[in-house]
Amino acid sequence: MMDNGKKLLRGILAAALVVSIAAVSIKVTARPPEPPKPKRIPVRFWHMWTGEWTPVMNRVVDEFNKSQDKYEVIPLLVPSESGSSNNASSKFLLSVAGGDPPDCMAQWSQAMSAWAQDGILEPIDPLMSAADKQAYAKCYPVVRKNGWYKGHLYGLVTAFDVYACYYRADHFRQAGLDPDRFPSTLEDLIADGRKLDRYDDQHTLVRMGYMPETFTNYAPAYGGEFYDPAAGKILVDTPENLRALTSLVNARNVVGNDRVVRFEAGLNSGDAGNWPFIGGQVSVQLDGEWRVQQIAQFAPGLDYRIAPLPPPAGGKKLSSFSMVDYLTIPKGAKHPEGAWEFMKFWAGLADPERAAKYKVWFGWLPSSPEMANAPAFKQFVHQYPQFRTFMDLAASDNIEATPPVPLQVYWADRVQAADDLAMRGTLPPRQALDRLQQELDREAARRKELGYEE
Amino acid sequence: MRKNWIGYAFISPWLLGFLIFAAIPFLTSIYLSFTRYNIITPPHWIGLANYRTLLTGDPQFWKSLGVTFRYAGAAVPLGIAAGVGLALLLNLNIKGMAVYRTIFFLPSIVPTVATSVVFMWILNPQIGLVNRVLKMAGIDGPAWLQSSTWAPWSLVIMSLWGVGGSMVIYLAGLKDIPVHLYEAAMIDGAGPLQRLRHVTLPMLSPVIFFNAIMGIIGVFQYFTEAYIMTHGGPEDSTHFYALYLFERAWRYLDMGYASAMAWVLFLLVMGVTGFMFWSQKKWVHYDG
Repeated sequence: MMDNGKKLLRGILAAALVVSIAAVSIKVTARPPEPPKPKRIPVRFWHMWTGEWTPVMNRVVDEFNKSQDKYEVIPLLVPSESGSSNNASSKFLLSVAGGDPPDCMAQWSQAMSAWAQDGILEPIDPLMSAADKQAYAKCYPVVRKNGWYKGHLYGLVTAFDVYACYYRADHFRQAGLDPDRFPSTLEDLIADGRKLDRYDDQHTLVRMGYMPETFTNYAPAYGGEFYDPAAGKILVDTPENLRALTSLVNARNVVGNDRVVRFEAGLNSGDAGNWPFIGGQVSVQLDGEWRVQQIAQFAPGLDYRIAPLPPPAGGKKLSSFSMVDYLTIPKGAKHPEGAWEFMKFWAGLADPERAAKYKVWFGWLPSSPEMANAPAFKQFVHQYPQFRTFMDLAASDNIEATPPVPLQVYWADRVQAADDLAMRGTLPPRQALDRLQQELDREAARRKELGYEE
Repeated sequence: MRKNWIGYAFISPWLLGFLIFAAIPFLTSIYLSFTRYNIITPPHWIGLANYRTLLTGDPQFWKSLGVTFRYAGAAVPLGIAAGVGLALLLNLNIKGMAVYRTIFFLPSIVPTVATSVVFMWILNPQIGLVNRVLKMAGIDGPAWLQSSTWAPWSLVIMSLWGVGGSMVIYLAGLKDIPVHLYEAAMIDGAGPLQRLRHVTLPMLSPVIFFNAIMGIIGVFQYFTEAYIMTHGGPEDSTHFYALYLFERAWRYLDMGYASAMAWVLFLLVMGVTGFMFWSQKKWVHYDG
């Protein structure tokens, strides 16, 4: 009787286990009910514009969908990864590795060449018609020089950031400076920065007038470059780059590295309305064009102006480093043609005048002279006259970008490290650049040994 | 035989999970460490090249190893000292002890990310709590996470915040020490310090040994705090081994190289753990 009871119990337990495993696996493997299929061909689009940007992005997608009979873009927000300038890379990379990527992904990782070499992206240029190529050729140099690897285009520039000096007119007046006469040389600007500094009674810096920092942002003004297209090589240890880094170090030493580091650690994150420039902790700030709209939104009465970064003696006018937002087609995309239709619609190759409207919604810069002359931008510049400086910069030939080599992500990290070493006074600028060059050479040699084609 | 199958059926969910998510990736990574692999294209066999580069051509590898060892050398002994010290205090017979124990244990259950964000504020050199308190005492505090000298120490100090987890284990160990040993020591005229030195610590040594092993394994995998708080900076002073490994894998898509790094780390942890087991004969006492 007892044995029968045990057998029964065992049987029940085993059956329960089988049923529960089956139930779990059915639940795990069962796909969620699919949304009703659109009549048009679906184009899955991933992007990273969170917060105030998401509705704007969705509005652009709606505009595209309204214009289409054939394709329907389905947007998905993939938030960027915290603490990583790599953004949504791992989610994106895993989707490609898993064979189920989106048809189009907007990226601001400066890694197009690296990903192109790794076989993560599809080349876009084979999808371009003659008219598309013609429209692309009319774009500004900064648009045309980015996104290429070994003669193929892998990332279509949809937006780019360039940097100019935002300055507080009220602070200028307080310091006895004329806000209508912005310094004409970088040296003068740095000197004026010290007049704008403010300290409390314990000699703690409470307002930074102006402090040039971030080597890549300033090297272009000194004529510095990061890439030699003829040789296909990264440039590091050039006299211009050395001059740029040396001048940044000298400017910091006047105030003192420790004081600058402490002051900057106490500043807000810089997002939207928390930007220290709006808060008045900084008088002159080199920053990007998107701030114009943010100031209008979060501090509409702010008394400020914008001027291009003044060149140092013998330097280049209207110069800037650029950070670029790309539209890409991942390897394994199911509808690359649909993705391309959306990309050229948004980037303005199909109709620059129409795309100008979308750029304005985002507060971005035009990609071409045609776009810049569109009514949407004329109205935008009329509304925000400060934006004119960025429009001038956008058209400039003196815009530098991340070198289009597979080593570019490593380059960006090690440049930042070298910059840090020099600014903190751990290494003199010359040695910091030498060390950077050695690191890049070593990594390039390693990749060569492993059989990568650079 | 039939009984065995029923047993296997019961453990099959765990067994399958272990095989799929631990054993197979673990073994696959041995193969991957001998390849060039970027997760998208198939792995390409390159022999010992990854290991050769690690040992002879990558200063960053040695630097990250040094950062990790230095941190381990400070955080593990200090963690043990703080854990044992707290456990001794919380083993006293005073009113409200349960409340004190709860208070000291609570930080250890706060998620690491939340703790990291809070400490970024506490250790802010300009507006942080620590430097404000130091300033009231007339001390100009360091730049903490913004200083290459102080950043590693900031992380060590932060690690003590979560010492409550090991403290509970020490406390359980203290409760296990037979009272008659203390009685005998007192009859022999031993004072409090002598009882601590000759009774408490030897009797607690198996627990200390356990926590030391777990602590060492933990610090060799130290990642989250450095990833969130310092990104390895300033000047690579907190560029821990696990952080560098992660960068190689996911930032530079060098999964083969990262696998080789993971295996070197595994061997190092095994070596250090083996050394600890060898040395325990001299300082761990299992019998009263």
